[in-house]
Amino acid sequence: MPKDSIKNRLITTVVIAQLLLAAGLVVTGVYYTHRRLVSALDTSLEGRAMSTAALVRYSEEKPPKLFFDADLARAGLDKEHPDLYEVTTDDGKVLARPANGAEEIPGKQRAKRGHWNFKIGGVPYRALVLHHVPILDREGDEPPASLEIVYATPMVAVNQQVRAAGIFIAVTSLLLLAITVVLALWGIRRGLLPLQHLVDRAALVSAENWEFAPPQEAQDVAELEPLTQAMTTMVDRLHGSFMQQREFLGNAAHELKTPVAILKSTLQSLMQRPRSSEEYRVGLEESLEDLERLERLLQWMLRLARAEQWAHGALRRDLELVDVAGTCEEAIERLRGLAQSRHATIHLASEGAAMLRADPEDLQLVWVNLLENAVRYSPEGAAVEVSVSRNNGGPARVVFEDHGAGIPPEDLPHIFDRFYRSDPSRTRSTGGFGLGLAIAKALVEAYGGTISAASTPGEGTRMTVELPVSTG
Amino acid sequence: MRVLIVEDERRLAENIARSLRESASYAVDVALDGEEGLFMAESNPYDLLILDLMLPRVDGLQLLNRIRQAGRDTPVLVLTARDEKESVVKLLNAGADDYLTKPFDLGELLARSKALVRRGKGKAAPRFKVGDLEINTLDHSVRRGDRAVTLTAMEYRVLEYLAHRPGAIVSKTELLEHLYDYNWEKFSNVIEVYISGLRRKLDNGSSRQLIHTVRGQGYILQDQDA
Repeated sequence: MPKDSIKNRLITTVVIAQLLLAAGLVVTGVYYTHRRLVSALDTSLEGRAMSTAALVRYSEEKPPKLFFDADLARAGLDKEHPDLYEVTTDDGKVLARPANGAEEIPGKQRAKRGHWNFKIGGVPYRALVLHHVPILDREGDEPPASLEIVYATPMVAVNQQVRAAGIFIAVTSLLLLAITVVLALWGIRRGLLPLQHLVDRAALVSAENWEFAPPQEAQDVAELEPLTQAMTTMVDRLHGSFMQQREFLGNAAHELKTPVAILKSTLQSLMQRPRSSEEYRVGLEESLEDLERLERLLQWMLRLARAEQWAHGALRRDLELVDVAGTCEEAIERLRGLAQSRHATIHLASEGAAMLRADPEDLQLVWVNLLENAVRYSPEGAAVEVSVSRNNGGPARVVFEDHGAGIPPEDLPHIFDRFYRSDPSRTRSTGGFGLGLAIAKALVEAYGGTISAASTPGEGTRMTVELPVSTG
Repeated sequence: MRVLIVEDERRLAENIARSLRESASYAVDVALDGEEGLFMAESNPYDLLILDLMLPRVDGLQLLNRIRQAGRDTPVLVLTARDEKESVVKLLNAGADDYLTKPFDLGELLARSKALVRRGKGKAAPRFKVGDLEINTLDHSVRRGDRAVTLTAMEYRVLEYLAHRPGAIVSKTELLEHLYDYNWEKFSNVIEVYISGLRRKLDNGSSRQLIHTVRGQGYILQDQDA
């Protein structure tokens, strides 16, 4: 299917408009010319009829007789088709008959007075009838009489002039149309030039080059402004998410390299020389452990990717109402083992029911990640407080408070970054990958909530999650 | 030869250490963070440093800068998970001698380690001679003239160290420091055992003695009388 073209559409519109204009001009021009010429012809017809009337005379004999002095009659302008006239007295005496030998001029009966058109042998004529025309050549003693004069003249010349005028207007219009089309083509091409520049500039944007500055000539065009603005914001947004993806990929690759390096070195050192079956067994067990760690890391990364996908609007909406405090209890239950091993106690305080449309698994995952950090970074036997509250109609608020070492101020802005570890040795030894808080954040944001951290070094950390409650 | 591995992944450090001990007969110390690594590097004479870049407390690049500023020219092999050009250039410019990106091949790590140790001792070839004594550091084989000499692992280590410094007096402490890891002091009496073993095996049937004792100072490996 051929592409729709703005240029072609504009040109078509221009051509159609011009053609309509030309047709209108031809019609009105022809009509006007025709009217003017016919009206002039009518005046001349009247004059000629009157001068024909002047040819009716009285003879010198007594009593004087009326006669028509045909010798003095003019032939008319058209030599080929001479004028026709018919002169009759009111009492029916015919004084002159049409020169072509016909009985009378056709159409006289139909038009009692005024003008009419007729044709003789294909030649168009215009005729005039005058009634009660007094005889001009009268000397007083003649009997009073008046005449009826019918005068017709061929229209051939008039029609020719009208046709010529029509052709002239049509040709001029078409010539103007051609000029207009050329001008319009040039104008459109020039008008679309900023668009072409914009296209050229946009084509330069790639994964390597995110620089997009709309050309000045495109910015100066009012119609292109929304487009350039939309493109600028789009490129910025794409750049942002591209860089985020690339950073994630780089971090992920980096994180994956270490466990792979361990696994590889374990197997290679096992193969460096013949070993006893016990050595092989230990080596294989270690390899399996390394592999499990790798697997866990992959799981975390997939979980994060999924949560971030949801945060970008792909969260499914057919969710059940979930009690926030209930999911907190579940999460605490899941961490019982870790808490016991560190002799930590977790207190849950809940006031008012906060219901939320959510997948309970997601909420639990958020709480488990936050609680795990709180328990791990608290001294042995310390308490962790969890409180669920809802301020009159506002969002549900879940606060996790520990009494651990706290987070240094320089680390605080980064703790929700993916793969961020304030102290790599500590988190690695506890099996963390620096993804827990990033996942928690992505999940909370997927549900339209916010997460924030406040910490006083030496006193503890306070994590606050706010989630919008469902009304329906 | 004595190597320090500074690597926070315990398993990786252990694998490298085992491989260096078994295949290169090196004495290996392991530090699991930058602070410990820096302390050990500053307080022991290592023949090679294997350094992870991402370390807790003191990171690899800082550690490298510190020991280079302190004037130590121990060869340094850096392990890194990043292989972008900029970070490699930065590393080498900071005084690293070589680098490997994770995940690396253990065999390659061994070969590069040996090469760095050789270079650190001013030797390029993996086989070299002192008089008619020929030492191959690749397969740890030793020949005196056209006779193959079979040594125990420890005897070989003592000989290799002495052979890397021909004509120089090597004290018993220096030998201990370079041949054993951090708890070398308890081995102080065994050096004489290895030296006498070496003498017996190397000089057996030869007219010239290669290992000489400088009384009160140490040992010297050379093809002439001390």
